[in-house]
Amino acid sequence: MNLYRLEMKKMRFSAYLWAISGIFASLLALGILFLFIFQMEKGESGSPEEVELFANWNGLFALTTALAFACFSVFSAVIAAKVVVSEYCGKNAVILLSYPVERTAILETKCLLVCGITTISAFISNIFVVGIMYAAAHIGGIVPQMTTEHFVLVVLSSSILMGISSSAVGIISAAFGWKKRSVIVTIVCSLIIVCVLTNFITVSPGNIMWVMLAISTGFVVIANVIYSVLANGIEKMEV
Amino acid sequence: MQTIVEVNSVEKSYGQTQVIHDCSFEIQEGEIYGLFGINGAGKTTLMKMILGLQQIDHGSIYVFGQEVSRSRAYLSNVGSVIETPVFYEHFSASELLAMHLCYMKKKANIAEVLQLVGLEDVKQKPIAKYSLGMKQRLGLARAIIHRPKLLLLDEPLNGLDPIAITEMRALMKKLTENGMAILLSSHIIEEIKHTADRAGILSGGYIKQEFSVAEKVSEYGEKFENYVIDNMRRT
Repeated sequence: MNLYRLEMKKMRFSAYLWAISGIFASLLALGILFLFIFQMEKGESGSPEEVELFANWNGLFALTTALAFACFSVFSAVIAAKVVVSEYCGKNAVILLSYPVERTAILETKCLLVCGITTISAFISNIFVVGIMYAAAHIGGIVPQMTTEHFVLVVLSSSILMGISSSAVGIISAAFGWKKRSVIVTIVCSLIIVCVLTNFITVSPGNIMWVMLAISTGFVVIANVIYSVLANGIEKMEV
Repeated sequence: MQTIVEVNSVEKSYGQTQVIHDCSFEIQEGEIYGLFGINGAGKTTLMKMILGLQQIDHGSIYVFGQEVSRSRAYLSNVGSVIETPVFYEHFSASELLAMHLCYMKKKANIAEVLQLVGLEDVKQKPIAKYSLGMKQRLGLARAIIHRPKLLLLDEPLNGLDPIAITEMRALMKKLTENGMAILLSSHIIEEIKHTADRAGILSGGYIKQEFSVAEKVSEYGEKFENYVIDNMRRT
């Protein structure tokens, strides 16, 4: 617990809180806009296929989740770049590796912090964005309500899986950044992963929970393998 | 007197380039050992090997009787300033030292150490606003706050003004009075002459000569510098 406290202190958590607030506000603004898209398009030319995704809560939720995944994956990579890559590949490594603490224990703490912060913030943000959208739609009578318990379960489970996937993207990106000893490579890597994968989330809005489960399982396995490689390497790391 | 550091026939290569050849020396308790060599002689590499930051290709290094490649426990009794010290610049000096003590799992009087290095008046100021000399002194404060038995100082007087240099030399002498051993590396002969008890000349990756500084200074007087340079050039 002491290591977590120390690492939190070093990373200036308040700056990340601002970033999380910014992401939340942007996602919420987009979410509210999504509510109106179907109404506007429907009024002009019937119900075009392109806007079907905006016509029901499955589609709307898939869209907001996909956007949240993209934003929080990059957010996770930014934290990982700062907390892991710049620490071990920069000049701080000399002092960090001179402490009488197991090197893997420090690395594990850092990685778990990146994952914890990303997962919790992504989960809470997505829940609130969808919740506020739902309330707004209810007040404005915009999109048909869907008050099934099943939908709540889908939102909760998909949001936590999205958070886990995003945090895994951060760890995977950090490994590439570490290899190239570059913060920029870390962030670019996360952008590439996000560009490729975000579209898959909206492929089958009705099955988003299973899609997110598949994505998160894959990413968690890859991130664990990568973490093991990093942890083995750090014991013999030279600075 | 207890042997604090024992370097036995150490070798180190970076790719095809061998930077340390069959290097051996010892540092005793309460002694300042000066490691003198030009830039690129391998001084920092040797210090990093003592800290376990670089792998040893051949040979062995023992600190407090423990082989450095086998354990990290000895690091709680080692302080170091390697290259230009780096800090988390949003911290104040007090916060930084408190965090360092947590990592070292030790307790100490932070105000006392900051007073010792002359930073007590700026202890709440963010480190980002410190001058190079102040950062150098803070680096030393971080290295000594946990009362290590071995202190590794890599070019510690870089960036310090003449008054601070005099104070730093006095501080090093004072620290050894309590039994602390200091390994001091420098490429400036004057620094070794005024501070070290014994010195080793590192050149081409070898310790070419080891001597008692006081003895050689009294033997060569004004020509001490020539003695050092001649030994560096000797093949």
